[in-house]
Amino acid sequence: MSKEAVLEAAKQSIMEADEDLAMQALKDAEAEKIDAVELLSNGYSAGMKELGDQFGRGEIFLPELIFATEVMKTVTAEIESKMDVADTQAKGVMVIGTVAGDVHDIGKGIVASLVKTNGVEVHDLGREVPAEVFIEKVKEVNANFVGSSALLTTTMTEQKKIEELLVKEGLRDKVKTMVGGAPVTKRWAEKIGADAYCEDASDTVNFILNWIEQM
Amino acid sequence: MGKELIFKTLRHEKTDAVPWVPFAGVHAGKLKNYTAEEVLRDGDKLFEALMEVYKLYVPDGMTTLFDLQVEAEILGCDLLWAENNPPSVKSHPLSGEKAIPCKCKIPNEESGRIPMILDVMRRVKAEIGDDVALYGLICGPFTLASHLRGSEIFMDMISDPAYVTELLEFCGEVACKMSEMYIDAGMDVIAVVDPLVSQISPKHIEKLLTPSFTAVFDFVRSKGAYSSFFVCGNATKQIEAMCKMNPDGVSVDENVDMVTAKKVTDQYNIAIGGNIPLTTTMLYGTQQDNMKCVIDLMDSMDHHNLIISPGCDMPYDTPIENTIAVAQAVKTPDAVREMVANYEGGGFDDIEIEIPDYANLDKVLIELFTLDPEQCAACTYMVNIVADNYDEIKDIADYVVYKYCIKEDIARTMKMGLTNLPTMCINGEPKYISIIPSKEELIAEVKKYAKK
Repeated sequence: MSKEAVLEAAKQSIMEADEDLAMQALKDAEAEKIDAVELLSNGYSAGMKELGDQFGRGEIFLPELIFATEVMKTVTAEIESKMDVADTQAKGVMVIGTVAGDVHDIGKGIVASLVKTNGVEVHDLGREVPAEVFIEKVKEVNANFVGSSALLTTTMTEQKKIEELLVKEGLRDKVKTMVGGAPVTKRWAEKIGADAYCEDASDTVNFILNWIEQM
Repeated sequence: MGKELIFKTLRHEKTDAVPWVPFAGVHAGKLKNYTAEEVLRDGDKLFEALMEVYKLYVPDGMTTLFDLQVEAEILGCDLLWAENNPPSVKSHPLSGEKAIPCKCKIPNEESGRIPMILDVMRRVKAEIGDDVALYGLICGPFTLASHLRGSEIFMDMISDPAYVTELLEFCGEVACKMSEMYIDAGMDVIAVVDPLVSQISPKHIEKLLTPSFTAVFDFVRSKGAYSSFFVCGNATKQIEAMCKMNPDGVSVDENVDMVTAKKVTDQYNIAIGGNIPLTTTMLYGTQQDNMKCVIDLMDSMDHHNLIISPGCDMPYDTPIENTIAVAQAVKTPDAVREMVANYEGGGFDDIEIEIPDYANLDKVLIELFTLDPEQCAACTYMVNIVADNYDEIKDIADYVVYKYCIKEDIARTMKMGLTNLPTMCINGEPKYISIIPSKEELIAEVKKYAKK
């Protein structure tokens, strides 16, 4: 089996959310001595990226994306268990959470998973996260990206607080900030000084990958 | 009569006007200075707030209680209550346990907040039920299933569709029981509110959701009531699948293109409602933005099978004057179209306006800046509270009414720097913006100025 064929099989396994196919591609890659990092980035992650784009275009929906993300998590864990730590160095570090007063975390969870499967180290702070906790985590893990989700018009203000605290702590120029959530708009992002408004998980990945290229 | 206008629209008959349904859920509380939690838990406060919605926003149809968590709470979900928002579900009883709840848990007249809700529905029906179509809102079967199971429901849809079918069947039974109780309490329209429908494919909708949803719409019809399918989020791709379930109407959020969506609903002869943007227009826009939005919306499509309403549940802090402007635009589009044109065209600088020398007047001057007191309900109330009580203050005060449809009055409103109407100024100071004072408050305020 050629290297291209294995990488394509890995990509397809994610796009079809087929765990058996994903594991078979992994075995084939080992037999062909394909570099694990290459298998991950040009095979499985490429599939995840394509799936994310399809989601962004409204061609697939939440169940399909979540299911494929689970397959991706399984295969990533399998690969990581076989690799040296040095090989798995992340492309960047992201801190993400749903803001204080808000318990909606389905969308945020999808964003976290999709970003992670694209090779970024993600620290998911969960839900009801105060702005101060975001800042502490940014310092602790030396984050490059901060994503906050707000699903209520009353909790959106916490996103503004994150921006203000980042400025106050002298961290604003060190990170790129992204805001999302049902009532959040591009206009809101501009108003509070966030770097990007992300409509969905695929949008978030695209912003991050573009920034990584520029880093 | 507004009620008949809604009925005709949901029966797909020709109407001579477009009906208006404000989704004043927690926002109703703002009208009486009550928190979201107060109006969602205290029947007297909810009733009082709903009466204010009726009075200020002249609805043809109105929602009673807008809280998709009522059923979930009864079925064992913990809620996180908020001051200015409906509560959110924070725990899912079926998370980690793929089970179907016992049918003995299906809500009845004694469960959770149902007694309070039914009582308010009956009182509202008795008070305004002849004039307004009353909407009873129930949580759609799919969103209820997700409240119970959590986000695992999305995995189940692919890995175990049989389980999802069974769970949806249970949630559909809950929806029918809720509909029955609400219809018996006087609700004319059952709104099946299912925001999560916008997150799944039309294929999944047809395969998994259709049986339970269709059963609810059929049940509502069999009880002699009307049904509407509310969905939040971008449901552009799901509209057709929703229509196939055969509700009498659908209501869509701001990110759906109404013109495109209406082409689909028209094919199925189903009414469509929507979709004034909640945050950018209703919450953060100006009064003129709201008027323009409604006029643009109404001018962009034919009026058959059409209802104007917000995209979804209005934010608590939506300025009252913005919603008044929306109501005015739906009710008197021609007059408002002219107001918008006047506002955009400007040209009032040439009109000479003399601002009174407030400090040296013999009497206190009450100036009522209105959109149009004959057409705008809030304006009428504001003018009437002064006119009806004028005898008691006539020795110390004068009053004058300005209308935003007369050029000189527009120029005066602008010169006074007023952007929200109706506004009552006392000696040149804006004292009441969209809020109608009580007789006692008004007289006390005027007397205070008289002593200055």
